[in-house]
Amino acid sequence: MSLLEVRDLTVGVERSPHTLLREVGFTVEPGEIVGLVGESGSGKTMASLAIMGLLPRGIELRAGSVTLDGRELVDPATGEIHRTANEMTMIFQHPRSALNPTMRAGRQIARVLELNQQMESREARDEAVGMLSRVGIPGAGRVARAYPHQLSGGMCQRVMIAMALACKPKVLIADEPTTALDVTIQAQIFDLINELVDETGTGVLFITHDLGAIAEMCDRVTVLYGGQVMERGTLRQVFTDPRHPYTTYLFDAVEREVDPRVEEKGVNFALQGCRFGHRCPYVHEACAEFPPLYPVGDGHVASCFLHGGTDGTS
Amino acid sequence: MALLEVRGLHKVFGHGRSAVPAVRGVDLDIERGETLGLVGESGCGKTTLGRVVVGLQAPTEGEITFDGEVLDGKLSRPEYRKRVQMVFQHPAQSLNRRMRVNTTLSEPLRLLDVAAKDEIRGRVDQVLRLVGLGPDYLLRGPRQLSGGQQQRIAIARALMPDPDLVVLDEPTSSLDQSVRGRIIALLRSIQAERGVAYLFISHDLSTVRRIADRVAVMYLGRIVEVAPTERIFEDPQHPYTKALLSAVPSMDLDTRGTRIILEGETPSPSELPSGCSFQDRCPLVHERCRTEDPVLRPHGGDRMVECFAVTERAR
Repeated sequence: MSLLEVRDLTVGVERSPHTLLREVGFTVEPGEIVGLVGESGSGKTMASLAIMGLLPRGIELRAGSVTLDGRELVDPATGEIHRTANEMTMIFQHPRSALNPTMRAGRQIARVLELNQQMESREARDEAVGMLSRVGIPGAGRVARAYPHQLSGGMCQRVMIAMALACKPKVLIADEPTTALDVTIQAQIFDLINELVDETGTGVLFITHDLGAIAEMCDRVTVLYGGQVMERGTLRQVFTDPRHPYTTYLFDAVEREVDPRVEEKGVNFALQGCRFGHRCPYVHEACAEFPPLYPVGDGHVASCFLHGGTDGTS
Repeated sequence: MALLEVRGLHKVFGHGRSAVPAVRGVDLDIERGETLGLVGESGCGKTTLGRVVVGLQAPTEGEITFDGEVLDGKLSRPEYRKRVQMVFQHPAQSLNRRMRVNTTLSEPLRLLDVAAKDEIRGRVDQVLRLVGLGPDYLLRGPRQLSGGQQQRIAIARALMPDPDLVVLDEPTSSLDQSVRGRIIALLRSIQAERGVAYLFISHDLSTVRRIADRVAVMYLGRIVEVAPTERIFEDPQHPYTKALLSAVPSMDLDTRGTRIILEGETPSPSELPSGCSFQDRCPLVHERCRTEDPVLRPHGGDRMVECFAVTERAR
């Protein structure tokens, strides 16, 4: 049994044929960092919001299951996901806008401790300062008394991480946690997340568009495109032996020589078949159907008919 | 003689105790038809430097020579504007939402009086083709374009007066990886065709590596190292350049965990220590760095480095 298991998660726009996530699945084990990688519009943020039970208005969960420690979070009656704020927490891309601008940093952490750990206010205040120094903030007492606008972006992200950890979560969802930060500060935050995972055994779902960040941080990785899982495997499997044409395409995008006069086409979310079909060099008739995940190695799967037996070339 | 020569450039915002020195004594050359990459982290002054070069901001001190002519307070003149143009980070914000592509592209020609009225249409078509868009885009507004298309239009607008230098401030940072690749390829093909020089400002080192001929690294308002692109990436010399490059996450699984992690954060430009501004985060810091200001010195042929530890050792 996995710590977090997401199966066949399907999310769409109400009263519309648009499907934003199609049968998305992955697992996270304790102490593991699992990457969810894709370009903008791939559905990576939508997936994390669905898991947290934070889907925006007008977006509905159509099918699927999310289990945390074996407990089903999808309510069979309403089709909604139970919020589990103290067992699963999230850190966001823009830490300063995720913090309350009118409340001192220390107070925001202390409130989490009071609500989730039933601490007395004095105890929570001291613990909040302790949490701040644990996330590598020098002069934690001073930072605890500062408002978010008085802190740098890197500092705000550390405060967010301290707040997320104050709940002692089983799973931490990090949605582009360093995209808004400079690379030298990003390196510090990556180090911090690694350290905390080793220390606490928290499982991390690490969402990013940056393949380099995945390579630095993750143990396993799921590649998303147009709301469809393209490929899933260990970091080494996916990076050294990519089996889906989209994964190869994504890796090459960094280096490939392209015709500058031709434009990239977007995703059609109403499409029935493979979402990558319109850009895929290997597209054929079968791709008008939705491709299942075919095994291509030990725990390594790819959603592509190329690996599908009958006409397969794998 | 270089196309653009910047000497001793300073730009200070504010006065007295609240003064923030954004650019603190920069020397810079850009040759005809070359791409100079300007990299550094937020707040290092790279955007301010770009804006001063274009003439959007007046320098506090220093001299800019363009094509042999010293521009003393002439930065905002139309003659200079025709020849130096700018592309901004967010095309959605830099394009006028009320203007169709057609107007956006012909406006610079009318304002700068570059072309006769009957020539304008032809030049718009020509530049639109150059950026890979057809005449069917002429009547669209910015909101009917994707982010990549908007940036193509912004580049086209900058190219309209046929400039000698285009300052590109993070032109691909708001775009997806695959779109980014195409914009870079587009910029290179335009350069090959028209011989325009670029000052390419970015915090994204891998993009800079793909387009720049030379790279200048900025830290706290000063250029700390400048060299041909491959020399910067293959063999960085300044300790800040080294840390910056090693902090970029690499897709190479074998280099995992070999980053140089700098301690602390960039100090505020209004509270700089005396001596080298990198001293508090530098692994090579010694006595002299705390008292004396280092200057850019040649270090092996076509490279300049601003660091006592590097340039003195070589002597």
